[in-house]
Amino acid sequence: MAVQKIIGGVLIMKKLNLLLAILLVSSMFLGACSSKSSGNSDEKEITFMFRGGEDEKTAYTAAIKKFEEQHEGVKVKIINTDADQYSTKLSAAVSGGNVPDVFYLDSGSIANYVDNGIIRDITEDVEKADFDLNSLWQFGVDIYRYDGDTSGKGALYGLPKDVGPFALGYNKDMFEKAGIPIPDKDKAYTWDEFLKVSQDLTQDTDGDGEVDQWASGFNATWSLQSFAYSNGASFLNEAGDKVTVDTPEFAKSLQFFSDLSNKYNTTPNSSQAETLDTYQRWMNGELAFFPVGPWDMSTYAKLDFEYDLMPWPSGDAGKSVAYVGSLGLVVSEMTQYPELATELAIYLSADEEAQQTLLDAQVQIPNLVDMAEEWASDTESVPSNKQEFLDIVQDYGVPYPTFATYNSQWLDEFWTNITPVVQGKKTAEEYLKEIQPKMQKLLDEANEQAKMSK
Amino acid sequence: MKKQKRITDIIVYVILSLGSILMIGPLLWMISTSLKDKTGVFALPPQWIPDPFQFDAYTKLFQLDTLGYGIKNTIIVSLSVTIVGTITSSMAAFAFAKLRMPFKDWIFLILLASIMIPYPIIMIPQFVMFSKIGWVDTLLPLIVPGLFGNITMIFFLRQYLANVPYSLIEAAKVDGAGYLQIFFKLIFPVIRPAVAAQFILWFMGVWNDYLAPLIYLNSPEKQTLQVVIANLKATYAIQTDYPLIMAGSVVSLLPVLIVFLIFQKQIIESVALSGVKG
Amino acid sequence: MASHRCLLLKGVKSMSGINPVVGTKDVKPKKPKKQKSSALYKQEHRVAFLFVLAPVIGFLLFSVYPFAYSIYASFTDWNGLNRMNFIGLDNFVKLFQDPYFYQTLYNTVFYMIGIPIGLGLALLLAIALNRGLRGTTFFRTVYYIPVISSLAAISIMWAWAYNGDFGLVNQVLEVFGIKGPNWLENKATVKPAIILMAVWKGLGYSMLLYLAAIQSVSKSFYEAADLDGANSYQKFLNITWPMVKPVTFFLVITNIIGGFQIFTEINIMTPTGGPEYSAASIVWYVWQKAFKYYQMGYGSAMSLILFVFIFIVTVIQFYLNRKSDYSLD
Repeated sequence: MAVQKIIGGVLIMKKLNLLLAILLVSSMFLGACSSKSSGNSDEKEITFMFRGGEDEKTAYTAAIKKFEEQHEGVKVKIINTDADQYSTKLSAAVSGGNVPDVFYLDSGSIANYVDNGIIRDITEDVEKADFDLNSLWQFGVDIYRYDGDTSGKGALYGLPKDVGPFALGYNKDMFEKAGIPIPDKDKAYTWDEFLKVSQDLTQDTDGDGEVDQWASGFNATWSLQSFAYSNGASFLNEAGDKVTVDTPEFAKSLQFFSDLSNKYNTTPNSSQAETLDTYQRWMNGELAFFPVGPWDMSTYAKLDFEYDLMPWPSGDAGKSVAYVGSLGLVVSEMTQYPELATELAIYLSADEEAQQTLLDAQVQIPNLVDMAEEWASDTESVPSNKQEFLDIVQDYGVPYPTFATYNSQWLDEFWTNITPVVQGKKTAEEYLKEIQPKMQKLLDEANEQAKMSK
Repeated sequence: MKKQKRITDIIVYVILSLGSILMIGPLLWMISTSLKDKTGVFALPPQWIPDPFQFDAYTKLFQLDTLGYGIKNTIIVSLSVTIVGTITSSMAAFAFAKLRMPFKDWIFLILLASIMIPYPIIMIPQFVMFSKIGWVDTLLPLIVPGLFGNITMIFFLRQYLANVPYSLIEAAKVDGAGYLQIFFKLIFPVIRPAVAAQFILWFMGVWNDYLAPLIYLNSPEKQTLQVVIANLKATYAIQTDYPLIMAGSVVSLLPVLIVFLIFQKQIIESVALSGVKG
Repeated sequence: MASHRCLLLKGVKSMSGINPVVGTKDVKPKKPKKQKSSALYKQEHRVAFLFVLAPVIGFLLFSVYPFAYSIYASFTDWNGLNRMNFIGLDNFVKLFQDPYFYQTLYNTVFYMIGIPIGLGLALLLAIALNRGLRGTTFFRTVYYIPVISSLAAISIMWAWAYNGDFGLVNQVLEVFGIKGPNWLENKATVKPAIILMAVWKGLGYSMLLYLAAIQSVSKSFYEAADLDGANSYQKFLNITWPMVKPVTFFLVITNIIGGFQIFTEINIMTPTGGPEYSAASIVWYVWQKAFKYYQMGYGSAMSLILFVFIFIVTVIQFYLNRKSDYSLD
């Protein structure tokens, strides 16, 4: 009797549980299924995945609407993701076989994705779409070329979503107040000149005995490259298989960079410049020089002082060098609609209205050369020297050192351990000598992995 | 004796109050930031009282079409997981703590192993698995695993049940009660405080989870609240509308707070147990 | 006097002397050897089995399968994008020679200093809130708010608070005339800074669980102790502490397991792992390797080692706990 009661009780419990679970699960299924079968078989759906703020969303939504109007029966599904975890989501999608048709990919990952057969060669599709690649920045197009061995040439695998020149800005008002002539917009400072101006501008402006104005506060991760390369040094050799940081030219540039803080005291003395830190000082008008990217313009428009752009100071090589980043639009190898997908990419990269919207929101410089040149010819609005951005893209800009390598671990090693140098506790030469072998090992590893993927 | 208690009470009171300032400080900062304008966020020295003081972030937040979906989906996921999961977990805890079963402790330890596996590493295989059965872009991968129980909750309830004398259950069995009756009428009321505590935590965990929703959900209508907030971050930090994100975080906090306020009473009113101990 | 105390302790033992690992060993009634009863036991086995069926199935489906997948991956050169090629023990060999593996392991263990600090504070808090002061609900809520706030928002706020120039922490220190360092950028202070934040965040959680446990301690124990003339410290040591031992055990185990896997806090407070990787935890390093450097096979190998570590540590703790319970005799 008792046994039967127990069995009965257990069975009822099981049933209840099961019932609940079934109810819930089926309701979810219904919810899920209904969204899948929403279209009829004639409708083609293309997925586009990206990450971005409100402005980009607005611009792209408009461009996509136009694209849909141009192509009957085509619907674009937009997937917007958090910027920080974009690569995680993309990784998961790739592993699970859910690659979107069109998506963002940073220029440094192009080779990887091509070698692993994930993105499509769109050279022919672009030609078929009758699109003039010359209307875009050559830098922006070439960075998405890859011939199976070298990045930067060969077949086309993507179109630029944007090009981001990392220019140098200066506080015009500060210069005028200090009675120092404004930097020449065509001729770069030599390091001696830059140092002198920096020292002159680092002062105690309100006479309370404490320095409250400095020349600069650069973050090595983004600014060192300019100093090093303009001194004839580089992180890698041409072939991309040797780390070349242990050269005297590199040591001189790193030492100069560090000395600006530690020997000449032209930067705020809080040890490491976390980007936001010195960002704030710049915004408050306490720094003379600070890097400016196109994405900064909308925020800097509200500054209390007038700023403008100038070439980066140049070392012994005599010419400025600046870094240009780029984010690209790529097409999945598995897409069902390659031509349509490529066309969507073209729209997102080059549609005039979309580019104008992004330009007006001061989010990026246009990918279209004509539009950019017209915008730069307006020297009335701040920054007056917009041409500097264009000069970087067309003339003296270089990609980030990890652009052509399999992964960035070898370079991250450099930044991870650089703290003692930037704090003045270690000399550049010493550091470079010890870090080069470690970097080389990681680079070798990366290159080997690249070979194995092919 | 009583006076001593009063003095200690006062000292305790003071310390607790100071402590609460520490606890709530960052939160006040969060609220304060949500009432600033975009550039005010970066002001040096940082402002406590926003100037200008504005509710713009909140208006913008509620105008987001994704917010409604976010709230709805998060509620669906959080409630279904915690309610069903609590039942399955409690029953399992009862079995582990009070019933006889061969290899019981080993099974428990092995189940415990599931939280020892670092998430990043099962994330992708789980995704591949769910992708194969077509559950990507649905809420299912976020709900179904939780329905089977939560080992942390099971663990805690098992510990809590250690304080319940075995004789109680024996007595009930002698009286002819079935195991199900014992569970629902006897055990569940006794572990109510523990269940309430764990329920709050689990609910909060699911509510605040953003990694899993991030990789599984694509369509805007499927997004959960945390992902909606995370997506407000722009590509470049300087463009991010921090007041908006803080406003979203404040709003997202409220439901959990409400759940907490409701359930924390359960934790304190543990009358049943003291009746047993006598 | 002594006899009363003995009685008290005995009473306590019979309650908490129940061994969490083995279940009800101490107080379990003797197993009758009659045929009829073992049929009843079989019944109990079956019921118990059914009751635990759900978590077991969930475990098999959602933990075992993915874990097996990634165990296999740890023996390959998987880059996360494409096929896996078997490379035997290469990942493990590399791993044991990787200085960053040891560095991050050290960091991770260092972070666990926060556990005893946090638990100690939480217990004190719970005792304080048990005094029946006015405004207890208010305090309980306030102390719990950090727990329910989303980790992402909290980390952002603390990252600002620790800012060397104008962060909240240094502003407060300035009031006392101390010039605070740039917490997150300084090798020596970054870990303590993160520990502080983790303790702050977890305090309410442990406090709540302790409160639940303390509330369940019958007042009669304390009354008996008062009769004996025990002071607060004695009452704590002989009544409160043993009674909440199961909760302490739970908290220590789950905190250690969780502590080994600390990730999100690190990722947001120090996105680059801190100066010279002084803040990076193991799981953070795994993340870098797996998702940033396209070395998922290697990341899987590291996770496997980590799992083994955690498992061993946990088993040891269970074993010690079992031993210490017998010593209550």
